[in-house]
Amino acid sequence: MDLIHKLNKKLDKMFNGSVNAKEENGCVILTGSLNSWDDIVKAGYLAVNKKKYLGVINDIEYTKEPVPGMRLPDLEDKQYDNVKCDVAIIGAGIIGCAIARELARFDLDILLIDKEHDVGMHASSRNDGEIHPGVDLIKGQVKQKYNARGNALYDEISKEMDFKFYRPGQYLCFTKKYMKIICNIARLYWKVMKVPTRYLNKEKLQKRIEGISDDMECAVFFPTAGIVCPYEVTIAYAENACDNKVKLALDTAVTDMEVLDNRILSLNTNRGTIYPKLVINAAGVYADKIAQIANDRFYTIHARKGTNAIFDKKTVKKNRFIVSAFGMSAVKTAHSKGGGILTTADDNMLIGPDAKETFDREDFSTEDINIDQIIQKHKKTLPGLKKSDIIAYYSGIRAATYEEDFVITEGKNTKNIIHVAGIQSPGLTAAPAIAKDVSLTVKKMLSEIMEVKPNADFNPNRKAIPDLARMDEEERDRLIKQNPDYGVIVCRCEEISLGQIKQALSRSVPCDTLDGVKRRVRAGMGRCQGGFCGPLVLKTISKIKNIDYEYVAKKDSQSRILFGKTKKHDTAV
Amino acid sequence: MIQQFENTYDVTVIGGGPAGLAAAVSAWEVGAKTLLVEREEKLGGILKQCIHDGFGLLMFKQKLTGPEYAQYYIEMLKNTDVNITCSTFVTDINRQDDGIFHLILVTHHGIKHIYTKAIVLATGCRERSAKQIFIHGTRPAGILTAGTAQYYVNILGQMPVKKCVILGSGDIGLIMARRLTLEGAEVEGVYEAKKELGGLLRNYSQCLMDFNIPLHTQTTVTRVFGEKRVSAVEVCSVDENMSRINGSERIIECDSLILSVGLIPENELAEKMNITLDAETKGPAADQCYQTKKDGIFVCGNAFHVNDLVDYVSSGARIAGKCAAKYKKRERRLIPVIHDEKFAYCVPQLIDIDSDQKKADIYFRTKQKEEDKHVTVTSGDNILIAKKYIEMRPSELEHIQIDIDKIEYGNDKIHVKMGKVE
Ligand SMILES: Cc1cc2nc3c(=O)[nH]c(=O)nc-3n(C[C@H](O)[C@H](O)[C@H](O)COP(=O)(O)OP(=O)(O)OC[C@H]3O[C@@H](n4cnc5c(N)ncnc54)[C@H](O)[C@@H]3O)c2cc1C
Ligand SMILES: Cc1cc2nc3c(=O)[nH]c(=O)nc-3n(C[C@H](O)[C@H](O)[C@H](O)COP(=O)(O)OP(=O)(O)OC[C@H]3O[C@@H](n4cnc5c(N)ncnc54)[C@H](O)[C@@H]3O)c2cc1C
Repeated sequence: MDLIHKLNKKLDKMFNGSVNAKEENGCVILTGSLNSWDDIVKAGYLAVNKKKYLGVINDIEYTKEPVPGMRLPDLEDKQYDNVKCDVAIIGAGIIGCAIARELARFDLDILLIDKEHDVGMHASSRNDGEIHPGVDLIKGQVKQKYNARGNALYDEISKEMDFKFYRPGQYLCFTKKYMKIICNIARLYWKVMKVPTRYLNKEKLQKRIEGISDDMECAVFFPTAGIVCPYEVTIAYAENACDNKVKLALDTAVTDMEVLDNRILSLNTNRGTIYPKLVINAAGVYADKIAQIANDRFYTIHARKGTNAIFDKKTVKKNRFIVSAFGMSAVKTAHSKGGGILTTADDNMLIGPDAKETFDREDFSTEDINIDQIIQKHKKTLPGLKKSDIIAYYSGIRAATYEEDFVITEGKNTKNIIHVAGIQSPGLTAAPAIAKDVSLTVKKMLSEIMEVKPNADFNPNRKAIPDLARMDEEERDRLIKQNPDYGVIVCRCEEISLGQIKQALSRSVPCDTLDGVKRRVRAGMGRCQGGFCGPLVLKTISKIKNIDYEYVAKKDSQSRILFGKTKKHDTAV
Repeated sequence: MIQQFENTYDVTVIGGGPAGLAAAVSAWEVGAKTLLVEREEKLGGILKQCIHDGFGLLMFKQKLTGPEYAQYYIEMLKNTDVNITCSTFVTDINRQDDGIFHLILVTHHGIKHIYTKAIVLATGCRERSAKQIFIHGTRPAGILTAGTAQYYVNILGQMPVKKCVILGSGDIGLIMARRLTLEGAEVEGVYEAKKELGGLLRNYSQCLMDFNIPLHTQTTVTRVFGEKRVSAVEVCSVDENMSRINGSERIIECDSLILSVGLIPENELAEKMNITLDAETKGPAADQCYQTKKDGIFVCGNAFHVNDLVDYVSSGARIAGKCAAKYKKRERRLIPVIHDEKFAYCVPQLIDIDSDQKKADIYFRTKQKEEDKHVTVTSGDNILIAKKYIEMRPSELEHIQIDIDKIEYGNDKIHVKMGKVE
């Protein structure tokens, strides 16, 4: 019996003939219709056979509710019409930005495109910020390889691009004494995988992690686990890319392509038609849609949502850590990483994420039940966690393929595209290594049609906006004397000065929104969540960018804060 | 009023709102060398944006606007030689071995150090945010606190809403319902999860009733819609335990959600000094002199507990300022003030029986609306005072004065009780 026949039998049994599978161009294609999204996802997994097929194309229609399409910018202009470039990167998440920066080492015209008003607005700013040691990765996976290399690169790139990076290590805790045996067997495996580990008994564990549950009997410690602020890294990469002459096209959505003789000729966007020699598909949750319009689809992205919660700074323990418990997934999903508790790079506690399949690829909404679940779950590790100490929460979407691995490859059909797709966790960790490899592939591919020279002016270093509250006093005093705006505190919760906000508004990656400022200098990320500083930041944006108050937005032109002047705007003070 | 500062003081007041202003004036009156530190450019605290009238009814027997009320104290300050430094942020406080406090200030001239014998914390409060009450759904523009809305309208002269729903019936929310209506916006309604109004009755009648704005009690906002800007909210009835009543959901189209869901004393500095916060007031516990459990650190105004009338803030702060000026380290014999569970809280939480502050104003709030009740303050079998109340509401702070000399020695508690009037 051939494979497709077998698969169809299984599908028939499960879905009463509503789903059909066939093979085409080396892929499994699923068609039909179902009214349960979970079933559609289940069918997708059923069709996976990595050895025989390039991938699963899941075209089963979801009939229960309309599936929202890609959210588009409301801008329509000709800003990038007829722009020719050597490389167009679609998607300015951590992957697109890191590739742009590595490519800037060559003397190329690079255009980095994103449909959002700022870089890193999707998964890259909605994750945990953990630089994974590779606890649950398997030999042979693409993600395993890049995770290991990416993790190792963080020391160097954090120095070059001046972003916060810590290696507090990760504790994987076990609740039963007999699990010590499992621990030790697993440690042998990790040893083979070159993931360093250490065994900790209960006493040591309790010393290392203040407030850990008494139920935790022992732990494996992974010293290479690290922590970054994910949007800080993404913005750093983007800034360094732009400092090195990469051009950035924001509010620009790629909606179609002209493909002729297996080559992409042009990209259609709301801001004109762009003519690249080579396209990099780093479009996150929409990577398969980009593949489709490029005539090169051989995988499907299904969106998996995860929710995280952030706690007030006062709950932070003396030392940083990342901790999780073995086998305690609140939501039983085969592909949930289980989540954990960690101290963020900005010294808050973070818990999460859970994992939930969703048909809406940009569903960043949150639900109380998810918060309750993650807190219940992580309380088993740290019983002191309290819901009332939560100051913020958010959801992110993982762009998973059914094969559950990264897709990093040249086009199968179409010649001038490189896919960097299916970059779910640990994509943040892997990004620096992926970017290095992809930039070399680009060089190789472009060398066939042009000469690719190194960029003699490339500067790998970027300076961060000074973080005055963390500086020693002398340094802070010196900076304030140079620039008195550094001595004017605007965000009281995070102690952010006017000078830092002005800096955020005048860097190589443009920023003119409240959320943009918040992600660059943390004004509005503290306990009051911008209640006090929001209006002051708005005033500063208006002044520096010379725009009226009513045009200042939260995240883009469709999310303005104000509606114009009051009737009598001769106000009190 | 001197717009500069030296580096040693008897009293340093942190915060230049009504509490800080009154504390600084009274500390100076008793002869203390006093510094007032304010992080904003101008003095006045939250009053700067409260351009409605109704301030000062108790203090001055007249209806002043917030800025007018603040100005009254600023004028008083002008006739003192209290040193003032605005646009100055206190980032850290340490106590040295000799008991003197060392403060680190950030100013636009650089970092400054000052040394002071006593500190008055008058740092005010902040509003609870949407995240703290777990508003869920999408994350668009158009969700803001009432105080932020007030700033946009009154200070920037800008409209943050066209059609809004207000969640929470706190005073700022009620005042903003009126203000926004006057400015031509539509306030669809005010929604309150509890059975009772959160703000003052007078604000309910003057701000909602007079403008036909409906108040929906036992109803809350359960979800926000709209990806870029709010497009609608879902409201839902809740029962006594705040659980939603299924089937009562209603979608209201609007462009904004304004929150007036509570104020929290701002006490970062107190926490840095390891002062534990009272679970009921969310501020530090203090005695009748407004001295916290840490010697030499005083607290007043909304940093102590959230007041509903600025008049109470000023009168308490005057005592705090005076006591801080007279502060000398000594053993304090502190007696706790405890209360029946019918009260949400009582302050002060402690009585220092050796203090020469011989009268103590006990301020309290009830948990629920109470009618025809006696409030009695006792020390052992001794009734210090008893007072009859026709009505008490959670939103209205009440107070009652006790005589410290009447407290019997050896009794380890002062008890505030509530009973039925027979
Ligand atoms: C909850 C959660 C927790 C996670 N935790 C970790 C972790 O701790 N460690 C770790 O290593 N990884 C983690 N990850 C994974 C990590 O966040 C992702 O792997 C990484 O951010 C992916 O980056 P990206 O650039 O591929 O995608 P994205 O950041 O999603 O970027 C894709 C970009 O493409 C743009 N785009 C899409 N379509 C178009 C189009 N047609 N035209 C123009 N632009 C387009 C989008 O606007 C978006 O900006 C987590 C993920 C989630 C969801
Ligand atoms: C919107 C609103 C409407 C009201 N309406 C009425 C009314 O109609 N009638 C009435 O009688 N009362 C009313 N009140 C109550 C009254 O105005 C307040 O209780 C009073 O303003 C509280 O005074 P405060 O000094 O404690 O706090 P605030 O006025 O908040 O002042 C605190 C000051 O401390 C400063 N500060 C804080 N931390 C630091 C630091 N680390 N370093 C330096 N400076 C710092 C702040 O910048 C601020 O200026 C209203 C209150 C509000 C918020």
